[in-house]
This record gives sequence, C-alpha cells and structure tokens, in this order.
Amino acid sequence: MFDTIFAAILRFATEYNEFFSNGMRYLGAGIAVVAGIGPGIGQGYAAGKAAEAVGRQPEAQGKIIMTTMVTAALAETTGLYGLLVALILIFG
Amino acid sequence: MLDFKIFGPLSPQIVSTLIVVSVLALFFIIIGFRVSKLKATDTPKGIVLVVVSFFEIIRNLIGEQLQGKKLKLFGPYLFTILVFLMTANTIALFGLKAPLSNAGVALAFSIITLFLLRFADLKYKGVKKKVHNIVIGHVWWMFPIMIPINLIGEISTPVTMGIRLFGNLVSGAVISAMVYAALNWAAGIFAGVFLHVIFDIFFGVIQAFVFFMLSLVNLSMAADSS
Repeated sequence: MFDTIFAAILRFATEYNEFFSNGMRYLGAGIAVVAGIGPGIGQGYAAGKAAEAVGRQPEAQGKIIMTTMVTAALAETTGLYGLLVALILIFG
Repeated sequence: MLDFKIFGPLSPQIVSTLIVVSVLALFFIIIGFRVSKLKATDTPKGIVLVVVSFFEIIRNLIGEQLQGKKLKLFGPYLFTILVFLMTANTIALFGLKAPLSNAGVALAFSIITLFLLRFADLKYKGVKKKVHNIVIGHVWWMFPIMIPINLIGEISTPVTMGIRLFGNLVSGAVISAMVYAALNWAAGIFAGVFLHVIFDIFFGVIQAFVFFMLSLVNLSMAADSS
C-alpha cells in the first residue's frame, strides 16, 4: 500500500508545472464556496422566526421586516468570506 | 480588483469617491443655506422638506442610544457616513465604478471606525478601567486565555465591518462584468435592470444601513461610562 502512495508522490513531484498549479487554484476556488451553507441555514432560520412573529402580531409588520433584513445581512458575513477567497484565487 | 495605488495615477474607484464627495458637499451646503434662512414658524417646501424629515427620522434613531453631549459629538459623523455609503453604493447606476469595490476604500472605513471606538473608550472610561476590562473581565481566573481573545476582539470588529462592505460590492461588480461580457448590447440592457436592482439598490442600501447601525451600537457600548 505504501508503494502506491510513494509512487503517486514521486509522480506529483516530477510533473509539477504551471498547468497543474492553475488547475489546483480553480479547484480550490470551487471548494471555497461551500462555505455558503452557513448563511443559508442561518438566514432561513431568521426568516422563519420573522414569519412566526408576523403571524402572531400582524400590526407590527413593517418593523419586523426591517429588523429581519438588518439581522440577515449581518449573518451573511461569513459566507462572503468564502466568496472573497474564491475571487482572490481566480483573479489574482 | 485588489489594486490601490498611493503614488501614480488614481484608480477609477478613487476618482468616483472624489466625485461623490464633491457632489454631496455642494448639495448639502445649498440645503443648509436654505434651512438657515427659514424662520421658526415657516413650513419647509420641496426638497428641503424631504431632507429635513429624513434627518428627523435618523436623529430619533440615534437618540435612543446616545443622549445629550454625546449626541452632539457623534451624531454628525454617523449621519455623514450613512448618507455617503448610501450614495456610494448606488453610484454604479450612473456609470461610475463603485468606490467601495476597491480594497483601500473599505480599509479606510475600518481604520476610521477603529480610531473612533478607541477614542470613545479612552475618553469615557479611562485607561485603568479599560485595562481592567481586558485583563480581568467577569471570571478572574481565566485571564491567560481571555487576554488574547479580548485583544483580538477589539481589532476584529471594525475590520469585519469594512470587509462586509467590500465583499458585497466586489461580488456585484464582478458578476455585472461577467454578464455584460457574455451578452450583446441589447440583451445587456434587459439583464442589467435585474442585476442593478438586486446588487446595487437592494444590497447596497441594506449594507450601508447595517454599517451605520453597527457603528452606533458599538459606539454607545464603548461610551457607556457606568
């Protein structure tokens, strides 16, 4: 089993050139956007709580919607970090 | 995307910043002259009425957190950054490049907020109480772990606020550039309507408001001399 691992590492070390590094960059950029799962779950939870609050008290709908927008934009930050890393990998 | 030049020709986003600042300054100086000529019993009309009612809404919002002398000291700065950010995020509708899609401008906002928060800390709490909060905190025997965590937390809040703005704006600029490059000019107008409404108006105004509210809440926590 260790023979195949050594053979793979040796082949990687001899064939390292610019095409390989560019391909790995784009692969890393694709994996980095998986960080978008977090805000998806978090903001969906916030929207559910907002809908429940509107159902409980329909007169306060304006304030509830404004608060939901502001707090959802706050929770989106960590998903943006993943997008920023992907953009830096692709374009620079 | 990540270029900011200090010496040499200006990047297009810095030129946008200068244009936005001069247009806003001219507009508000003219409004100020008209407001100072009103007597106490006149009702304002037209554009002065819009500006005055908007200002009243924002002042009530700030007045819930800061009172008295603090409101006079920090109120103008908060109103200025709200108006500047709301204008600067939607200026892409007029053909200029959005100022905050440059990393230097977003970092400038972070540095301004960092200095403002530490200045409010030292002025309203004093050095001894601040060091006591960092070192001892609420649980006194956990101080080897809590000192680095508290120190990093002081710096990371303004930096996160700046990066949030930068990330929203640069993603809008990159996606707009890709869509416009893929379509011809006629279909680009139809696609551009959807893109600009979502990325510039919706996200831009909400992120400006979030930056303003976060500055306000952090400032009222730092200036709380209890």
